[in-house]
Amino acid sequence: MTIASLINKQDGFEIVRDQIAAIIALESASQQALAHTAGENKALWKMRVFTERSGPFEEWLNPEDLRGVDKSPIVNIWYDNGSFPMNKGNTVERQLHEATFNVDCYGVGFSADDPSGGHVAGDQEAAIEAQRAVKLIRNILMASEYTYLGLRGTVWRRWPQSITVFQPQIDGRPVQRVVGARISLRVDFNEFSPQAVPETLELLSVNVKRSETGEVLAVANFDYTT
Amino acid sequence: MGLRALAEADLEFILEDSEGGFGYPITLTNPDGDSVSVIGFSNDIALLIDPETGTAISGRRASIALRISSLSELPVRVSDRVKKPWLAAFADINGNPYTFKIAETHPDRAIGLVTCMLELYDDC
Repeated sequence: MTIASLINKQDGFEIVRDQIAAIIALESASQQALAHTAGENKALWKMRVFTERSGPFEEWLNPEDLRGVDKSPIVNIWYDNGSFPMNKGNTVERQLHEATFNVDCYGVGFSADDPSGGHVAGDQEAAIEAQRAVKLIRNILMASEYTYLGLRGTVWRRWPQSITVFQPQIDGRPVQRVVGARISLRVDFNEFSPQAVPETLELLSVNVKRSETGEVLAVANFDYTT
Repeated sequence: MGLRALAEADLEFILEDSEGGFGYPITLTNPDGDSVSVIGFSNDIALLIDPETGTAISGRRASIALRISSLSELPVRVSDRVKKPWLAAFADINGNPYTFKIAETHPDRAIGLVTCMLELYDDC
């Protein structure tokens, strides 16, 4: 006996990953609108969002014109790992998926001349940009509006496990200053699996009644062959 | 002349020969804005080797190598943002000019050679 239905649905971890990306992209746009209304520089709330990319900051590595580079922080969400506790699911239909998603934030900085005196330090700029993205993302994902990441009924909870900043190596440091920071986000959600469609063997109906004497009677109707 | 002095003297042919060698014109600018043209090695490559895994990764590393005796002042990294940094400018093989900030300096005072690691710089 094989599974009768085609498995063409998204699994929970794919849905949650894409939902995290959608939330960050949506809120980045919303925050930019709020910043514009408040008279702030809306570019400080702009983030570019990717999922499951290996080198999303590649375009920063060989810019022809530094001033034409979009230096908005880059965010990359990817599924890292998950576990399934045996005491929080069942063997038939549903399992709890305790997953970790990495939300990587990259900031770039280019050293530049400061017309008012001195210069802009690219390494510091890159770190500030990456940390600003981390701040925005943590606030967005832990906001009360996203307690269940907009997937109530599927997501049990979300929790930021850690924030780690990638320190640049002293050796082999390239000409571009790129700093990365990672938010490890733990999300617990349900995973479902294909269920066999049961075949009706017999129809059996039972009526439970109470007689005038208080006796409980069961009247069953079913077909049988002798 | 000892071997060490000979090695230093050979730097003229190794680093500063722009006619028959790999010497390339480089413009150094100090934090006071004074510029000087020198001849030395310049590198600007995009392929790096990850020191942890040994695999090739995409990146961009630029550096220059200069003869110390040809310099009146040794470039250093300037971290203080209220000051201008040391700058090195040179063109690629196609004539496209690039300006870099001196990010690290590795002087070898034994034979008179200084290697400077560079960082992209927008000189506005």
